[in-house]
Amino acid sequence: MANIIETAKGAGCFGTLLTAVEVAGLTGALEGPGPFTVFAPVDDAFAALPPGTVQTLVDNPPQLGRILKFHVLSGAYSREVLVTQPEWESLEGAPVAIRRADPFEVKNATVVSADIVCDNGIVHVIDRVILPG
Amino acid sequence: MTPPTAAVTETVRQPLIPPSTHPYADVIHRLEAGGSMLPDTPENLMQIIGIYKAYAVPMDFYWRDLLYIAERVFLNPLPAFKYFISQDYLDLPNSYAGEQSKLRIWRGGEKAHPELLEFMAKGETGKLPKLLHHLWHDRINMEFAEACMQAMLWHQNMGGRFNDYLASDAYRANADRAIKAYFRGNPLMLGLYRLFPEMFMEQVKQMSYYANLGLFWEVMAPVFFEMSDIYDEGGFKGVPDAMDFLVNGIFAVAGRPIYHHVYINGECIEIIPKSEGFTWLYEAALPYVEAVFYRTAPFRGTKSYNAQAYQVPAEQADFHYGILYADVFPVGSAGIPPTLLMQDMLHFLPPYLVDLYKNHKRGEADQLIQLGITFQRSMYNVTSAVIQALRGALLYPLDDTDPEHLLANRRFFEAQMDRFLRPEARLPQVQTQDYR
Repeated sequence: MANIIETAKGAGCFGTLLTAVEVAGLTGALEGPGPFTVFAPVDDAFAALPPGTVQTLVDNPPQLGRILKFHVLSGAYSREVLVTQPEWESLEGAPVAIRRADPFEVKNATVVSADIVCDNGIVHVIDRVILPG
Repeated sequence: MTPPTAAVTETVRQPLIPPSTHPYADVIHRLEAGGSMLPDTPENLMQIIGIYKAYAVPMDFYWRDLLYIAERVFLNPLPAFKYFISQDYLDLPNSYAGEQSKLRIWRGGEKAHPELLEFMAKGETGKLPKLLHHLWHDRINMEFAEACMQAMLWHQNMGGRFNDYLASDAYRANADRAIKAYFRGNPLMLGLYRLFPEMFMEQVKQMSYYANLGLFWEVMAPVFFEMSDIYDEGGFKGVPDAMDFLVNGIFAVAGRPIYHHVYINGECIEIIPKSEGFTWLYEAALPYVEAVFYRTAPFRGTKSYNAQAYQVPAEQADFHYGILYADVFPVGSAGIPPTLLMQDMLHFLPPYLVDLYKNHKRGEADQLIQLGITFQRSMYNVTSAVIQALRGALLYPLDDTDPEHLLANRRFFEAQMDRFLRPEARLPQVQTQDYR
């Protein structure tokens, strides 16, 4: 089985996310044993942000890292487990709300593909970048 | 002869959710349609853009001097010359203007604005030594910027992690290093530090808020300058365009680091390093809006408040002395922070606003009040941009087709409007043009 980073590379729709993870210096962590739950925004999700948003973050890796860590939970949780609790603490520290079970919604993003099992965790693909608050 | 009528194919879309029953339902429906709390009229657009320009020039001084104080004046026990900003800080390149900027918001230059420099040289009284301008108060009223900083310092917990960090061991260790470095060779101050360490810590925390606000306004000045230039070219069609420009600006710089560096004898001490990951949006902009637009504190000398008669809220969160609630007329008394700002803006009004004020109310005699109310309108628009940006970041697009999502947006907008239900709020007044 592949790890989270290898899985994302293979999917072909996470180019921006992978670049961001690399710039923020989080690639090693996400290749590590984990396990993690990753809410992975597709390229279109980043492209939907107003111009300059991603660039400012990429220019400032600690700030970028903070936003990315909001997309990661410690522990591997499937959709079935996630929907049993209204919110989960992210690695960033702020809670990630599970707003709906069906359709499966994480904060204001909809999960377009859930439960992609990797060596070191589980990936849920989301259609929007989620932000703390 | 009547022309042949084309087949009418217009479809009437049924709204996906019922209308709001909130007292500010009209405003909520306007926000849901992508508008601002401020009605979309040509005069409102003219007023808000004109005042953004007049605000941006003194703001160009405020952010520079806030950083100068935070980074250079620092703990000077007698900071009599803290408003005598150094040339280095007047020339400090704005990160969002000029050729060198990575993200260029304003097309203009990166150094202090020419109108600011001209005013600093001459003031209202003419060319005099700097000290005389200062003592005569014929200068930029930096006290206003400090009042905003103090509002942020005093209200403290308004979201973000900045304030929590000020209580952390890491911050205290960095502040301790900076205090000892700053007072190296000064046994009196070092002795006082040993006796009253918390007093010194509190001063450093205040300096960190100077830096926070300086970094916040470094962004807003070029945003407002650019809006003015776009308007002068005929670029904005209405108030929503101006609001959208602000929304996009908020997103574009949301990830800007908020930090506090201090320079002592050529050494840079990072009291709040950039690596802490603090951001412009969470640690500066949102706390600023909450502390300054909504809360602040009653201004001395304007009105007597009897706390025992509950005229001052028991909870800080209920404070409502910001611009969104201000009765500009009594607030416009001499010497208090909002009046200081009005006085600063008066010097840089574009000609079209000067003409507008001449034609209303008491003409030139009450320009300060009229421009204060214009400023209030403009800040309802900035607050609308913040509300729309938060809706965009945390909730759903306005054209979402899922009724549950639209209801979530509705609840958010209604909760925001609840804050203007108290009688002091000026939201009803800014709905009409005759409030001046």
